[in-house]
Amino acid sequence: MRISTKAIYDTVTNNLAHVSDAMLHANQVVSTGKRINRLSDDPVGLVSVLNLRSSLDYIAQLERNITMGDSWLAMGETALAQVEEVLSQAKTLSIQMTSDTQGAEERASAAVEVEGYFHQVLSLANTQVNGRYIFSGTQTATAPFAWDDDGFGNQGIIYQGNDTEFEINIAKGINVAVGRDGTDIFGDDAFDWSDPDAGQANIFKTLLDLKSHLENNETDGIRAAMDELDSHMDNLRSLIADTGAKMNRLELKSNIIQELRLTYTDRKSELEDADVAEAIMDLKAKELAYQAALNSSAKVMKMSLVDFL
Amino acid sequence: MAGIGLVLNTAKDALLTQQYAMDVVSHNIANVSTEGYSRQTAIIQASTPIPYGGFIFGSGVGLQEIQREIDSFVETRLRERTSDYAAMAEKETYLSVVEGVFDENSGRSISAQFDAFWNAWSDLSNNPSGSAERAVLLESGATLSQSFNDIRNDLDQFGLELDLALEAGVQKVNQLTSQIATLNEQIISMEIQGNANDLRDQRDMLVRNLSEYLDVNVFQDSQGLLTVTTGRGYTLVSKTDAYALSFESSEVMWEGSTGKVAITDTVTGGKLGGWREVRDSIIPKYEAELDELARAVVWEVNRIHSQGVGLEGMSTVTGAFAVSDSAEELASADSGLDFWDGIETGKTFTLWVFDSAGNAVDTDITVTASTKLNDAGDTANSLVHLINDNAANVTAAEVDGALRITGDSGYTFAFADDESGVLAALGINTFFTGADSLDIRVNDTLKADTTLIAAGRIDAAGAFSPGDNTNALDMVALRDTQVALTRHTYDGVTTSGTDTLQGYFSYLVGSVGIKSQSVRREQEYAEIVVNQLTEMRDNMSAVSLDEEMTNLIKFQHAYAAAAKLISTADEMLQTLLQVR
Repeated sequence: MRISTKAIYDTVTNNLAHVSDAMLHANQVVSTGKRINRLSDDPVGLVSVLNLRSSLDYIAQLERNITMGDSWLAMGETALAQVEEVLSQAKTLSIQMTSDTQGAEERASAAVEVEGYFHQVLSLANTQVNGRYIFSGTQTATAPFAWDDDGFGNQGIIYQGNDTEFEINIAKGINVAVGRDGTDIFGDDAFDWSDPDAGQANIFKTLLDLKSHLENNETDGIRAAMDELDSHMDNLRSLIADTGAKMNRLELKSNIIQELRLTYTDRKSELEDADVAEAIMDLKAKELAYQAALNSSAKVMKMSLVDFL
Repeated sequence: MAGIGLVLNTAKDALLTQQYAMDVVSHNIANVSTEGYSRQTAIIQASTPIPYGGFIFGSGVGLQEIQREIDSFVETRLRERTSDYAAMAEKETYLSVVEGVFDENSGRSISAQFDAFWNAWSDLSNNPSGSAERAVLLESGATLSQSFNDIRNDLDQFGLELDLALEAGVQKVNQLTSQIATLNEQIISMEIQGNANDLRDQRDMLVRNLSEYLDVNVFQDSQGLLTVTTGRGYTLVSKTDAYALSFESSEVMWEGSTGKVAITDTVTGGKLGGWREVRDSIIPKYEAELDELARAVVWEVNRIHSQGVGLEGMSTVTGAFAVSDSAEELASADSGLDFWDGIETGKTFTLWVFDSAGNAVDTDITVTASTKLNDAGDTANSLVHLINDNAANVTAAEVDGALRITGDSGYTFAFADDESGVLAALGINTFFTGADSLDIRVNDTLKADTTLIAAGRIDAAGAFSPGDNTNALDMVALRDTQVALTRHTYDGVTTSGTDTLQGYFSYLVGSVGIKSQSVRREQEYAEIVVNQLTEMRDNMSAVSLDEEMTNLIKFQHAYAAAAKLISTADEMLQTLLQVR
């Protein structure tokens, strides 16, 4: 076959261009450490990488959410346990005061003690985390319990929050309540606070009633208040157990997230990171090919009949 | 005549002929690296024999013609493939730049900014009253919308650059076609004497250059004149006339006897074809999908945002979206609202008005199919009048097509439970403004006052608290919500479907990558084909120095031999003359 001089030179030019392009690309992979340097290097892999990056970002956010939720739940658990402790002290005191050996004077001084318990419980009910009230429903900027008009013309401890629990986001589409509706803990406030027979389910009312029974030296009333305290403590224990369960759930979720992070990071790295050993081998191979092309081209180009005439 | 005279004559012709052949060889050698040069061959033929003395004697040699070695089949294939390759190469160049615009490894990654935006909402949900969280959220919203603007502006810019490229391309085409027409003229006048080989080479070269700009058909008539048309048959050169193209309002125009015709869409090959495809089909797809996404982001975020309430009630608000005709139904395209189709009729929203003591009064307003913004003749169906007639202590008005609500002194107001979507459509209590990737922005109202970012909601009793995160949590859930998003093809065909906002962006980025990848492969393939055809053409037509050197020696020897003939004939004559 006839080979023209131009074809020889063109072939050399094209081949060198191709080999050096391949070498440049191999070098880019080695120097960036990334397998995907442009969208078109692997569009399908890149979309997976984008999704994984987004998932990793979301996981980091979930971890922040969980840490924050955990502090709320831990604070809530402590507050509830302390309320239970105070009520238990109130009950011990009540048992002593129902004894016939106690007189009106002792009961009156016990009433002062109960008032102290009442204030402790009220302050625990208004527990805050980072300046936000955790027993106020979603109205976390409002102190949940305060003296106010009860709607019957009397003053009572009125709930200022709402009945929507404050939630955090812990997974796609899953929110967990970390705050509480205060009335679930301390009882409903919608009754006439001046009526001694109303509001048995309200912790504040029970303590106020207990205090007034002690002041008035009414042992029957003290006994009734003791029963109410028992039922409050039952309720508190179940709420504490529920809080503990939620904390476990968050911890479990946090563990899952740690594992997911490892899996996602691995997968992402598999998709976008270059295998360095392989990339360097590849670069060496391309270098060799380039040198070979240079060598053979130099030889081919030198040959001409002109030299022999 | 015969005898020694014939020998001398033959020798003279031989000398001349070999010299002509040497001329051709030297011309070939001189043009060894000339682009588009076809090697020439001296066709040498024995002269007409002469009958003499009862025999027929050969009368030597003569130059028949100087022929150009070409294979028109390969030339035609090469021209077609050059068109394809040029189109692919241009597409590849522009797509690799478009790829850079969507580069997800850079700081401009929209995907990462979506993450930042959702995370900012998540952080706000953890601390709804935090002013730092609000500032970060606003910033992330602004960065996200800015990225949409930037990408769209870059794509628009490519469109403008391609217009310029097309215009310059048209001028180049005109230059080439007029040169071809001129060469047609020169060739026909020169070929009265013989083959105008070099002019034909030049003309072929111009046609090949032309085919780099657009796909052409070429016909040669019996006189050797070339007729050149576009791939679809619009004449560019006919005999010695060239038909100039022009470029008007982004279209390539061809002017024939019946007037100007836009032929942009018919150009499929060459640089013009590549530019046209990028400008008219590739970039519009990405722009349409970017718009689709921006529009969905604006609507979905606003829809949720308009359900909520900020840290405080508003004292005045002006809608970010205006109607073009306030007497038209809001839920119809005639209203001129960007999001008229998002309004659900027969649904209500609640307007809460608070006095300075915090007492709340609610008014439910129902939006029907006949609800207009402001029609004095139909107050029962006019939003402005519905608010003014039913809600105390606030005043509604129309300001340049937008709804403005203002509370009386000491009164504030807020919105809740908008099932109708009319608030989002009018841009009341919304996060973003704009309706496409070019004009998406964070609502200026929020920029001026971040406390208006609606993280919480008003409950059924009209109470709301700065610590409420209900609305923010709903916004976080939007991250994984499937929303209606239409996909576009490169041919402008649309398919409706659903996707998450971020999922749709990944799809868009993926389609840029896939297109770029396939164009690059096609370009590589086209390049290989062009190179092979070029090699075939060159092996047929280009000069081989080895061959020319061989010929040189061959003709040199023949020349020397012919000279020897003369000296021999001379000796023979001497011999004759010495005879006494």
